[in-house]
Amino acid sequence: MLTSAVLQAINGISLAALLFLLASGFTLSFGLMRVVNMAHGAYYLLGGYIGLTIAEKTGSFALALVGGGAAIIVVGYLIDRFLIRRTGENHLAQVLLTVGVAFVIGDVALAIWGGDNLMVPAPKFLKGAVILPGDVYYPRYRFVLIFLGVAVGVALWLLYKKTQLGAVVRAGVDDREQVNATGINVDRLFVMVSGLASFLAGMAGVAGGAFLTLYPGAEWEILVYALVVVIVGGLGSLEGAMIGALIVGLLDAYGRWLLPEFSYFVLFGPIALLMLFRPRGLFGREY
Amino acid sequence: MDRGRAVLAAVALAAALALPSAAGPFWTGLVTQMYIFGLLALSVDLLLGHAGLFSLTHASFFAVSAYTVAILQVRYAVPTALAAPAGILAGTLLALLFGLAVRTRGVYFILITIAFGYVVWGVAHRWSSFTGGDNGVTNVPFPALGAAAITSHTQYYYLVLAAVIVCGLGYRVFMRSPFGLGLRGIKASESRMQSLGFRTSAHLYAAFVLSGALASFAGVLYVYYNKFVNPVAASFPVSVEAALMAIVGGTGTIIGPFLGAAVVLGLRNWVSSFFELHAAVMGAVFIATVLWAPQGLVGIAGRLRARFGKAKERTP
Amino acid sequence: MNPLFRNVSLSGAAALLAALGMGAAAHAQTGPIKIGVLAPVTGPLATPGKDMVEGMKLYWEQVNYTAGGRKVELVIADTTCNPDQALTQARRLVHQEKVHFMIGPLCGHEGPAVAQVSKETGVPLVMDAAGADTITKWSRTPSVVRTAVSASQIGHPWGEYMYKELGLRNVTFIGQDYTWGHEVTLGAVRSFTALGGKVAKMIWNPIGTKDYGPTIAAIPEDTDGVSAVVVGADRVRLFEAWFNFGMDKKKKIYGGYWLHQDVLPQMDDRAIGLIGNSLNYAAGLQTPENIAFTTAFAKAYKRLPSWFGESAYTAGLWTKTAIDSINGKVEDREAFLKAMRAVSVKAPRGPLKLDAYDNPIQNVYVSRIQKIKHPVLGEVLTNVPVKTYEGVSQFWTWDPKEFLARGPYKR
Repeated sequence: MLTSAVLQAINGISLAALLFLLASGFTLSFGLMRVVNMAHGAYYLLGGYIGLTIAEKTGSFALALVGGGAAIIVVGYLIDRFLIRRTGENHLAQVLLTVGVAFVIGDVALAIWGGDNLMVPAPKFLKGAVILPGDVYYPRYRFVLIFLGVAVGVALWLLYKKTQLGAVVRAGVDDREQVNATGINVDRLFVMVSGLASFLAGMAGVAGGAFLTLYPGAEWEILVYALVVVIVGGLGSLEGAMIGALIVGLLDAYGRWLLPEFSYFVLFGPIALLMLFRPRGLFGREY
Repeated sequence: MDRGRAVLAAVALAAALALPSAAGPFWTGLVTQMYIFGLLALSVDLLLGHAGLFSLTHASFFAVSAYTVAILQVRYAVPTALAAPAGILAGTLLALLFGLAVRTRGVYFILITIAFGYVVWGVAHRWSSFTGGDNGVTNVPFPALGAAAITSHTQYYYLVLAAVIVCGLGYRVFMRSPFGLGLRGIKASESRMQSLGFRTSAHLYAAFVLSGALASFAGVLYVYYNKFVNPVAASFPVSVEAALMAIVGGTGTIIGPFLGAAVVLGLRNWVSSFFELHAAVMGAVFIATVLWAPQGLVGIAGRLRARFGKAKERTP
Repeated sequence: MNPLFRNVSLSGAAALLAALGMGAAAHAQTGPIKIGVLAPVTGPLATPGKDMVEGMKLYWEQVNYTAGGRKVELVIADTTCNPDQALTQARRLVHQEKVHFMIGPLCGHEGPAVAQVSKETGVPLVMDAAGADTITKWSRTPSVVRTAVSASQIGHPWGEYMYKELGLRNVTFIGQDYTWGHEVTLGAVRSFTALGGKVAKMIWNPIGTKDYGPTIAAIPEDTDGVSAVVVGADRVRLFEAWFNFGMDKKKKIYGGYWLHQDVLPQMDDRAIGLIGNSLNYAAGLQTPENIAFTTAFAKAYKRLPSWFGESAYTAGLWTKTAIDSINGKVEDREAFLKAMRAVSVKAPRGPLKLDAYDNPIQNVYVSRIQKIKHPVLGEVLTNVPVKTYEGVSQFWTWDPKEFLARGPYKR
C-alpha cells in the first residue's frame, strides 16, 4: 500500500512534468500576448512526429528533442504571423481559428505518418527500470522526464524573474501600454515568447511521444489536460502552471488508483468547483 | 418585412415543403439533420451573437436531454408526451447549474465550459450501467402523441420543420423584446449597462438557461431522428461544430445558424465521399470564416446585395 | 370475334407480358450487385479500417468481382468511427447508392447505428468487426447477420485457458472500459470463476489512457497472473509500461485481446514468447486456406493481415457463397438472408456457420508472439496459435436461453 502510494506519487509527478512543458508555453503566450492558442495540442503532436522522424533517421534522441521543438518554432511563427495576428484580441475568433488550424495539422499529420500509434525511440540508457529501495522497479525514463520538467521550470523561472527580458515580459503581462511606452520593440518580444512557447510544445511532443506514443487524436487528449492545468493555475501565471500541473498529475494518478470508475469526475469535478469559487484559478488575475 | 424578403421566405418555405417528394429519403434525412443541428447552433448563438458569451458546453444539454428521452422511452416505455418534456427539463436543469459559469467572462468562460463539457461526456462514457457506455441507448421509437404517431422519416421531417419555424419565430419575438435588447446592450458594453442599473450577471444567467433549454429541445428532436444516442453526442467536437455553424452562417441572425449547419453537414458528407483529408477541409473553413467572413454567409450576402443595389442605382 | 382468334390474341398477350416480365427480371439481374462497405477510412481507427477495406478488395479481385453470374460493385463509405456519421452514410448507401446489402461497420459503437438503418429499410446488413454482444443476442434484427465475432465469444475460452492451461487461480484483470472491453473481459471472468478461479483485482481503464503506471502500481502482490484486454494505442503503452516497470521480472502477463498482428510492427523482440490473444483469427495459422490468404495479402500490401483484414475477406467469401447459391438474385432480400444463414464456408480462419442467433460458430485461437521467416516479408512478428478451441458458440457451453435470461455483461 505504501509502496503503491509512493509509486503513484512519482507517476503523478512525471505526468505533471510533461503537462508543465505544454502548459507553460500556453500560459505565457496568453499572459503576454493574450493569445488563446487551441492548436497547442497539435503543435505537441506535430513536434513529436517530426522528432520521431529525426530520431529514426539520425538515431539521436537529443537531436530529436531539439529538432522537434525547432520545427514547431517555424510552424508556430508562420501561423502566428499570418493567421493569429489578424484576429487582434478577439479570443472567440482566436479559439475558432486555432481549432481550425489544429484540424488541418492533425489531418495532414495523419496523411503523412498514418494512424498507427508510434513511439519515439528513446536511447537504451534512458529505457528500462531503476531499482528503488524495497525491490521496487520504476521506469528510468520517467525520472528523465521529471528532470526535464524541473530543468525547464528552473530555466523559465530564472529567465522570467532574473533577466532583463523576463522583466520586460513581466511588465508586459502587467501593463502592455507601459511597455509600448518604454520604446521596447514589442513585436520582437512577442515573436520571441511565442517562439519559446512553440519550442516547448514541440519538445514536449517528442518527450511525451517516447512515453505516451503518438497517434491521431493525441493532440486533443493532451490539450484538454493542459487546459485544465492552465485553468487551475490561472491564465498567464508561470507559478500557476507549475502548481496546476502537479495538482492535475497527482489527481489523475491517485484518482485512477483509488476511484477508477470516477476518474473523469476526480479530475474535472473539483476543477469545475474551483472555477466557481475562484474563477481566475489559483494564481490568475483579472484580464 | 419588405417585399423581396417575403418572396424569398415564401420560396424557401415552398422548397422546404417540396423537398421530401422532390429529393428522396437521403436528402430528406440530411436536411432534417441540418434543421436539428441548426437549432443547436441557434441556441449557441443566443449567447454568442447576442450576449457575446462563447459556450463550448452546449453538447451537454443536447446530450442530456437526448439521453433522458431515450432512457425513458426505451427502458421505461414512458410515452412521448412525458418523455419529451422530461428531456427538455433535464437539459434545462443542467443549464441552471452550468449557468453559474456566467460568473466569469471572456476566455475563462470558454475554458470553464470546456471543462464542464468533459464532465458530461465522461459520465456518458463511463457510467455504462446507466448510459449504456459506448453503445449508448438504441431502438428509440418515433414520437407519438396518443393516436397521432409519426411513422416515417418524411412525416418526421415535416414535424421538425414545423418545430424549427415555431422556434425561429419565437426567437425573433424574444430578441426584439426588452430582454433581448438588454442582452445586446451587455454585449456592446457591460459596464455601461451596469451603470444604467442593469443586473447584468442575472440577465446573462437567464439567457444561459434559456439557451440551454433550446439546446435541450434540439436534443429531443435529435434522438427521435437518430433513434439512438451515445457519448459522441456529448463530446467536445459537437460543441465546437455548433459554434462553427453559427459563425459560418452568421452570428446574431436567425437564418445564419441554419445556413451554417447546411454548409458544415453538407461539406462533411460530400467531401468525405471523394477526399480523404476532409477534416483539413473543415479546418480550412474555420480559418477562412474567421479571417475573411467573420459575419458569415449572411454577411457576405449583405455585402453582395449592397454592391448589387448600388450598381442598380447607377444604371438609370 | 372468332373464338380461335381471341384465344390466340390472349395467349399472345400473355406471352408478350411474360416476355416483358422476364425481360424486366433479367434486366434487374444483369445489372451489377452493389455492396455498400462501411469502414472507418479516416479517423482514429483508420489503420484497422484500411485493413478491412484491403481485405475486402483482395477477395473480390480474386474472384474478378463476380458473384451469382453478375458483376459486383463495392461502394465504400467512410464512417470515421463516429456513429452519427455511420448512420448518415448507411442511409446514403441505401437511398442514394441503392446498394443491395451492406457490410460493416468496424467500430463497436457504430454497430447499433447501422443496424438501425437495416431495420428501418429492410436492406440486409452483414455485420463485420463491430462486436457488440447484443446484436446477436438481446437486440436482434431479422435483416442483420454477423460474420465476424461477438465480443464475449473470445472471452469465454480465454477464461478456461487461463485456468486449465496456464494453471492460474488468482488473476488480475486489466480491461478497457467500454463495451467491447467489458464483454471480452467479463466473459473471461465468468468462465474462469465458474471453474473456481478467483479475481484478485479488476482494473478498468478508459480508451486512450495516457499512463499505465497507475495501473501497474495497482496490481496486487499476491496475484499469480495478469490478463490484458486493451485496444488501440493503449496496447503499446501497456506493453512499454510493463517492461519499463520491470514487471517482466516479477509477474506474468497474458493477452486476452492485446498483442495482435496490427500492433506487432510497433513492438520489438521483447514481445516474443508472450501470449498475445485469444481470438477467432491468428495470422500464423498453418492451414492451406490461411497460407494462401496471407501470402496473397502479403504480396498485395507488404504486411500480414490482422483479424480486421481476414474478417472483411471472409465477409466477401461468405456473401459470394450465398449469392452463388441463389443464382445472383440479391433483389430477393429474404432469399439472400436465408442463404447467408444456410451456407457454410471454409475461411482462412477455419470453418464457419451461423448459429440460430445469426452469430458464427467458429474456432478460437490462443496465440503466442513469434518471429517467423515469411516467404514474402522476411522476418516478422506474428501470432502463432498454441491452442485451438474448435467450434466455439457465442454461448460457450451454456444453454442459449439460460444465457439470454442472465442478461448482458455489464461492469
